[in-house]
Parts: sequence; structure tokens; C-alpha cells
Amino acid sequence: MPQHRDPHEQAQVALVLFHVGPYRAALEARHVLAMTDHPTALRTANAQSLLYAGSDPESPPSRWLTLRDAQTVSDNGGTWQLGVSGDFTLQQLPANTLYPLPKLLFPRRFSTALCGFTFDQQQLVLLLDARKLSP
Amino acid sequence: MSAEYPRDNPANDPPFATQTLEEALATHGDTETVVDVDEPTQQLVLFRLNGQRFALPGSAVSEILPSDQPVYYVPGLPNSTEGVLHLRGKIESVISLHHLLGLPSPEGASKGMILLVRAAGITSGVRIEQLDDVCEVAQSMLQAPPETLPGTLRPYVSALWQMDERQALALLDPEALFDAYQQGLG
Repeated sequence: MPQHRDPHEQAQVALVLFHVGPYRAALEARHVLAMTDHPTALRTANAQSLLYAGSDPESPPSRWLTLRDAQTVSDNGGTWQLGVSGDFTLQQLPANTLYPLPKLLFPRRFSTALCGFTFDQQQLVLLLDARKLSP
Repeated sequence: MSAEYPRDNPANDPPFATQTLEEALATHGDTETVVDVDEPTQQLVLFRLNGQRFALPGSAVSEILPSDQPVYYVPGLPNSTEGVLHLRGKIESVISLHHLLGLPSPEGASKGMILLVRAAGITSGVRIEQLDDVCEVAQSMLQAPPETLPGTLRPYVSALWQMDERQALALLDPEALFDAYQQGLG
């Protein structure tokens, strides 16, 4: 049976929010297959090294997000794990509070996964496209 | 009743004029060049970077934001990108032109205003150190950039305005600035 959305209802997007070093980031929840305390996949990567080349020492991941491997085209769908720091939270955020990356910054970003921004408790959150992340 | 100046007495001779009325009135005006209202003019936003005078076309500057406008740092972007700002439901980038123009970066935190610049379909904040003025300038006063202009500035300067004998101001081309930034310069 088709679902009809109330035109006044605010569209929501489910996100997994987490820390990357001193910064906050988020992935769309539908791309996150599991969240664990220990790495279990063969392929892993620290989110910090994927998002920016900083002079800060890398903080060791304390949580692992299991993502579908966008680079793998096999039917069984390989997975990999993204190491993040601190706690992660699942949140529904209004779609109109998710902002695209300003046009000028597209060619200059370290990671093509950086696709936008939102705010959580007045702190900037980096929105990441899970399909552009790979170990 | 006669309106003639009485000439029979030398003391009544009209004083020797050393200046015309026009000249006398002109000396009371300011020393700035009077712009013919019919002459085409261009609005300029005058500002300073590293103490040097620059301008952007007023048509490209949509807003002047105060220095306390919050700017959020974004990791994974070049040093010339200060971050992003949240303005009325939009996120805009904030860049510094120092690297692009070959100027030394200011020490300490940025304190100047932010010009919201729109060019080539792109909007971005540009941090300046000091806002000097927003004024109309006759287009005839804008000269082509001289050959002697430093090579680091030449790609981005569309005209030079000789404000007085000592001071010249470089009019920047916002499209050229954004294009260079996107190509990885600065």
C-alpha cells in the first residue's frame, strides 16, 4: 500500500554521527551495516587518515563502522570497517538542515567523500558520502 | 538711480581680480576630482590586505559581514580556506586571498570583515583586513594594469586606480580569483 507523506511533514534523514579526531562527522545511516567496538573485517581504515592529512597525531579508533565496499563489484558485497573515535549516535535530522559543500571547495577538498555540513549542538558536522570512502 | 560703478574717484576703481568666482568657489570644495554625472561610473568596495590597497567591483560584493561572524574550520582543505560560515540557511566558504596574491599571511586570528563575493556562479566569503570605503569611481579613472605590476598580482588585477600622487589601488577580478583558487592556486 503506497504511503502518503503529509506535505507539511518535515523530511528527515537518518545519520550516524561520530568523531574524527577533534572534529565531528556523519554518514547516512543506510550505508552503515553495523557498529562494533572491535575491528572484524579484513579491510579497515582510520577515518582521520581518509579525511585530512594533518600534523596532529592520529588518534586510534575506538569504534568501527562496517560499510559496504564501494570498490567491490562482487555479488556477495564485500565490506570494510571505518575506524572512528568517541561515541557514535544515530540521529534523524531535518533535510533542510543538511547543507551542500560550497561550490568553490569541491576541487580543493582532501577527500571527495566530504559532501556537506550540518550542525549538532552548535558544532559543525562534516557530512560524508559513504560511497566515496574506501580503505 | 545709477547702477554704474562710480569711476571719477580712483579709490572707487574695482579691485584687481586675481581669481575668478569659479576658481574661488572651487578652492572651498574638497580636493577630490569632481565626477561628471553623465560619465559612466563603477562602484568599488575598497579594502586592505597586508596594508596594501585593493578593490572589488561593487556588483560582485553582495554583502559585507562583520568581523565577529562565526567561521567554522573545516579539516582537509588548503590553508587559504579559513572555513565555512552559516548565513541565513546557507553555508558559504570563507577564503583568504593572501596566498593567491603573494602576500604574507597575517599573524594571529583573522579579525577583519568578510566580503560575500559572487562571481561566475560561485559565492564565497573573502576575508579582508580593513574595509576602507564603498564608492563610485569614474570608469575613465581606471587604467589598464601596468607592465610593472608584480607577476603574482597580474592575473588577478583588472585595473589600477591612481587615487593620488602617492597611492594606487588594484581592482581585482573576482572571476579570475575564484578560477585560480579552484585550479589549486593559493
